[in-house]
Amino acid sequence: MADLRINLAGIKSPNPFWLASAPPTNSGYQVQRAFEAGWGGAVWKTLGDPILNVSSRFAAVSFNGQRVAGFNNIELITDRPLEVNLKEIYETKKRFPDHAIIASLMVEPKQEKWHEIVKRVEDTGVDGLELNFGCPHGMAERGMGSASGQVPELVERQTYWVKEAAKTPVIVKLTPNITDITSTAEAAVKGGADAVSMINTINSLAGVDIDTWNTIPHVGGKGAHGGYCGPAVKPIALHMVGECARNPRIPIPISGIGGISNWQNAVEFMLMGATGVQVCTAAMHHGFRIVEDMIEGLNNYLDDKGISSVMDIVGKSVPKYSDWGNLDLNYNITARINQDVCIECNKCYIACEDTSHQCIDRLVDSNGVSFLKVREEDCVGCNLCSIVCPVDGAIDMVEVPNDLPPMTWNERQAALGLLNGTAEKVVKS
Amino acid sequence: MSEHQQYVLEREQIDDLLQKGYKIKKVIESLSGDIVQFEQDSNTEEEPTKEILLILTPNARKYFSVKLIEQAQGNVQL
Ligand SMILES: Cc1cc2nc3c(=O)[nH]c(=O)nc-3n(C[C@H](O)[C@H](O)[C@H](O)COP(=O)(O)O)c2cc1C
Repeated sequence: MADLRINLAGIKSPNPFWLASAPPTNSGYQVQRAFEAGWGGAVWKTLGDPILNVSSRFAAVSFNGQRVAGFNNIELITDRPLEVNLKEIYETKKRFPDHAIIASLMVEPKQEKWHEIVKRVEDTGVDGLELNFGCPHGMAERGMGSASGQVPELVERQTYWVKEAAKTPVIVKLTPNITDITSTAEAAVKGGADAVSMINTINSLAGVDIDTWNTIPHVGGKGAHGGYCGPAVKPIALHMVGECARNPRIPIPISGIGGISNWQNAVEFMLMGATGVQVCTAAMHHGFRIVEDMIEGLNNYLDDKGISSVMDIVGKSVPKYSDWGNLDLNYNITARINQDVCIECNKCYIACEDTSHQCIDRLVDSNGVSFLKVREEDCVGCNLCSIVCPVDGAIDMVEVPNDLPPMTWNERQAALGLLNGTAEKVVKS
Repeated sequence: MSEHQQYVLEREQIDDLLQKGYKIKKVIESLSGDIVQFEQDSNTEEEPTKEILLILTPNARKYFSVKLIEQAQGNVQL
């Protein structure tokens, strides 16, 4: 049995699985049930001046029968008075002293507002604070949430104000609605953040009803943009975690969020630099008990690999994540079709012929049996055929030896620059 | 002609010049491909012999780049 405990900037929890600040962590009743189910921590539904919500709040994007491939919401922060939440946080912490409870906070960008809420919340015995600089709708129009989180100076200043008052570790939750998340992550570091978490939801409109012409969701015939999350956003979140993890100016722990639905996803985020993960949509889709499989799967994975502590995998893939210019231009892979597995649906052939490099031939053997074969010398190793192939193991992408040594784009351009004095471009007239 | 065949042809042209002692002297990246200027140093006062190849295929552009890096690493006067 591997050691699943984590320590994220001083916040300890029995396992790396936390519920993200959202409906699953709205109340003491829910968080206590979540802890009973096995969740290691919970980030409480964001506290602040209680808000007013609209009815009809969520929408999901289903794709080819996969329900909730993406999830969209126009819900705001807590609508319950601070005292009610604080009482429940206190009771929950008392019942579950070894589980992590993090209070998510959002107030106007004013020093006294932050000082006040930090003091009141910390009195309940929370293990840490998470500053919600990410909510993209409703609160943003009031200068909070992502409106604050998109401006590095505001991130830095508000983090600083919180740190002036806080005794517990401060996690800054970042918005993905920005071109380069490292700029706000760096601002959080400058403000004194102990950790960053990412991502909050991505600006979105789930859909338009083509019969009524209403937005999805709509509130009495009117819609507004919401925040997107769930499996569809995982690659975006993973990239943002990786960018922060490999940035030497962001030397603080990361709590990874965005589309995490199973233990494998959690491992990916941790390998890419997250010290722990937070989950919202998957819990909303399948209930608290998904954590049982997550714990078991993670434990088995670590045991199989002979790794004694989950903390040992944190960041292991970060050195493998670089810029495009550092990739080897002479590394080659090619597609190989396994004739005994291929069902000859021709999907690979069509994909390659119509939209890639026309390097799969349809041939007939001496017995008149048709088969598909890759012309390896023309294959660029794009992976498309294996991506569209519906049968596992029918197409392998295999490394082919190259007689040329490794060469990156950066090395090539450096050599050209040296040769030409400076990089030179001509535009043909 | 397949792109691979064209690559093989371009690679042969590059190899041919390099074997004859030509060095890559200048590369101009253009919309039409890479214009690679080769020069063969002469021991006499005469002008060095020049050859120009327009390299079209991606693999041949990688190939001459590898040769260029080898040339630079070989401490050859560029
Ligand atoms: C309905 C809903 C409400 C949310 N409310 C909050 C919130 O109050 N505070 C916050 O920081 N994030 C909030 N989030 C964002 C989640 O905490 C999380 O960052 C996001 O959903 C991405 O994770 P996921 O893909 O696992 O859902 C909310 C998300 C949803 C779906």
